Amino acid sequence: MSDNERNEFDDEIMQAAGKLATAVAPARDLWPGIEAAITAPARPQRSVWNSVWAQAAAVLLLVGGSSGLTYLAMGGATSTLPPQSAGTGPQLVFEPVSGSFGSQYNLGSEFQVAHNELDAKLAEQLRQLPPETRSDVQKNVNTIREAIREINIALAAEPDNVLLQELLLSTYREEMDLMIKVDGLASEVMRRNDI
Amino acid sequence: MATGSAFDEAPVVTDQAAIDESHWVERAKQADTAAFEKLYRRHVDKVYGLCLRMTGNAAEAEDCAQEAFIQAWTKLGKFRGDSSFATWIHRVAVNSVLGRMRKSRREQDRIRAVNEIAPARESIGDSGNLQDMEIAINELPSGARHVFVLHAVYGYSHDETGNMLGIAVGTSKAQLHRAKRLLSQQLKVANGEI
Repeated sequence: MSDNERNEFDDEIMQAAGKLATAVAPARDLWPGIEAAITAPARPQRSVWNSVWAQAAAVLLLVGGSSGLTYLAMGGATSTLPPQSAGTGPQLVFEPVSGSFGSQYNLGSEFQVAHNELDAKLAEQLRQLPPETRSDVQKNVNTIREAIREINIALAAEPDNVLLQELLLSTYREEMDLMIKVDGLASEVMRRNDI
Repeated sequence: MATGSAFDEAPVVTDQAAIDESHWVERAKQADTAAFEKLYRRHVDKVYGLCLRMTGNAAEAEDCAQEAFIQAWTKLGKFRGDSSFATWIHRVAVNSVLGRMRKSRREQDRIRAVNEIAPARESIGDSGNLQDMEIAINELPSGARHVFVLHAVYGYSHDETGNMLGIAVGTSKAQLHRAKRLLSQQLKVANGEI
């Protein structure tokens, strides 16, 4: 093929391309899908910093709670109240709890240390409660920790799932609240025994 | 060949229509979905047509067109009117197509599918039968196809084509040359010359 022939054929191709329809109606109306997308309520953007602050708050709560519990337990009535025998109720067994908040966040070693400290203190305080109360509290603690374990398993599969992260954080808070309540119960027992 | 976009040159948009469109754009910027629907109704066929020619797949083209309008809604605040709304929504649609194709491995499947289902060809001849051309364009490699569709079919300049596809003007010209060579070969085969 000569250059002239090639150029002529190129011209024919370009002319034919120019005749192709530029407007083609889609087989279905796309508007309902578009309308649904643009009128859907916007999901609130979760700021990374919010998560970081939430983690920091959780660590502070735990560290602060731990210190408070330590102060109350050690500085309070420890000398006036002999601890109940460990043989009066079932042995407490708690599952280890991870401090993971997805692929980008981690509560770190400080959290784990604070948590372990609280955990030890909780076991000590539980021993001071009456067997029935201790059993109830133990069930509640185990329920919460089972929930934490399951959420962590789910988070391992979906590390960036915001809902799971929030759920985990709120469950840690529940655990913290329970620990504080136990501390209150233990203190109450201490005061009654003092009388 | 082409020096401006087919939309900017298109005679279908009258002065009154342009005024209406400008009004709809302003209202849509204020989150008026009814105004945005009017823009959609006016432009959907050309946006879908572009998506269809770039992807070569009707379902994929529907998704791309839909995504383009959703993207346009969210980015409408950035539309300053430097170009026509039609050109702007085309750019959004091209980005939508390119984004989806980068993510998708269906391109290879598409090429195979086209080869499998392509009907027996008829000669283009002088009758104006463009079916062969349609099929031949579909069989082009994506880079050459995108340039050919934007430049030869939709009338964008090489500057505009390069800008929309994120490639250099020289690359756009080279891809067009490649597209023409490949089309030439395919159409000769179709015409029984080879």
